[in-house]
Amino acid sequence: MSAHESTTLRWIRAAVAVFLKDWRSELRTRYAMSALVMFVVTTISIILFSLGGEGASPEVLAGMLWVVIFFAAMSGLSRTFVMEEERGTGMTLQLLTPPGAVFAGKLLFNLVLGAGLTLLTVVLYAFFINGFIVRTLSIFLITITLGSIGLAAASTIIAAIIARANTKGTLYPVLSFPILLPLLMTVINATRLASDGAPLGEATGEFQILISYIVVVITVSIMLFEYIWKD
Amino acid sequence: MTLRIVLGVLLTLVIVAALGLPIVQQPQHWYEFPSIPGLEEKARIIFFHVPTAWLSVMAFVTSMIYGIRYLRRKDPIDDLTSASAAGLGLLFCVLATVTGAVWAKFNWGSYWNWDPRETSIFVLLLIYGAYFSLRAAVEVEEKRATLSSVYSIIAAVTVPFFVFIMPRIMTGLHPGAKGDPDGAGPVIEFKMSPNMRVVFFSSLIAFTLLFLWMLSLRVRIARLEYHHQPKG
Amino acid sequence: MDFLAQHQLYIVLIIAVGIWLGLYIYLFRLDGRLKKLERELHREQH
Repeated sequence: MSAHESTTLRWIRAAVAVFLKDWRSELRTRYAMSALVMFVVTTISIILFSLGGEGASPEVLAGMLWVVIFFAAMSGLSRTFVMEEERGTGMTLQLLTPPGAVFAGKLLFNLVLGAGLTLLTVVLYAFFINGFIVRTLSIFLITITLGSIGLAAASTIIAAIIARANTKGTLYPVLSFPILLPLLMTVINATRLASDGAPLGEATGEFQILISYIVVVITVSIMLFEYIWKD
Repeated sequence: MTLRIVLGVLLTLVIVAALGLPIVQQPQHWYEFPSIPGLEEKARIIFFHVPTAWLSVMAFVTSMIYGIRYLRRKDPIDDLTSASAAGLGLLFCVLATVTGAVWAKFNWGSYWNWDPRETSIFVLLLIYGAYFSLRAAVEVEEKRATLSSVYSIIAAVTVPFFVFIMPRIMTGLHPGAKGDPDGAGPVIEFKMSPNMRVVFFSSLIAFTLLFLWMLSLRVRIARLEYHHQPKG
Repeated sequence: MDFLAQHQLYIVLIIAVGIWLGLYIYLFRLDGRLKKLERELHREQH
């Protein structure tokens, strides 16, 4: 009984260790964080310039918010696996930690990073883009929470795939987009509902889809990660 | 051998029937199709558009199944089969999208509308594109096979979500359903007469046989190439 | 000219059947050549 317990505990500790390793490394270099912040700021500025003071309809703005979030994720969330390849530390990690724990740790890292970039984008967007109104706050908050979780989940497994490929940078959005499309469509729809001021009940369908998407993607990722990771 | 003969005869008959049989207002004979107001002669495209779309999905499923087999058995031929199926799927997907756009133009006025069926065939096109981009980006055979298999499984898993998302998107958007009773997009809006149905299902069967034959040819070629690579 | 205009659909039909039969013959011969190759190489191995 205690032997079984300690295996699970060891597993959790391993996952947390992977997460902390990535996190501390990130705090030191601030590589992904600065890229993300710069990306979000730049993109929102470009949007502001191209809108030229005029507004756009709330529906369009709802969609654009997620366009920015998606591409920000594409610029930053692959880092966690790509850096292992670049630094050559992947082999050591394979030897020390079970694959599931590696994935869990990096997923956790991307969840934190994803939450950060979503929050930043939403705040900047709300402040600077006029015309973006949120009438039903509850829908919006739940949407961005579930949306950023789903985004991180799908982005992490795809990041693992492209880390072994040649043209990592351009391949990442190409592979991620079809996978993320159900999430993006649902999340944009929910944001529009929040913009329009729909009651919370109307968005339950969207939330159900988002939750099942998250569950399915994470389950499949855990099952498949071992094949990607092993050399 | 017999299947190949059957395919040849069947698809020829299908083309002749689909394009040749007359479309009249009041069908009197077994060989006459009813005329649908607004479509008339243009309805013939349905005999080719739906089977190609159906096949592009089937090819993707085939690709995924062989992807799973590769992950289990590590047999390179499984991966080659998966890729061959995907290649054929891409071909049929392009055909389906183009015939669909043509159909949309004369049925609803514009080449593209982003309604459920159109969006899903487009997503399938994106998935095929992503699949081949991935394969092109990995040089090591084993890695390429593993990554492609994994990606096709992930992609296949996200596709069913569209079935649930589509109805919500269409009810949320304003360009209302084009008078579709079930609101699911360009489903077959008219009931097909029995003789049309015969031609239609024969077309489906014939195209499926064509796909299977082309797939087997490609796999055989791949197998020969694989086993008899020039040394050095 | 008038004949062509009146019977457009049948012209399309003939072209379509022609294309299909051409493709079919190509695939058929490919199949045959493959079978021959497979037999030869199979024999070489034994």
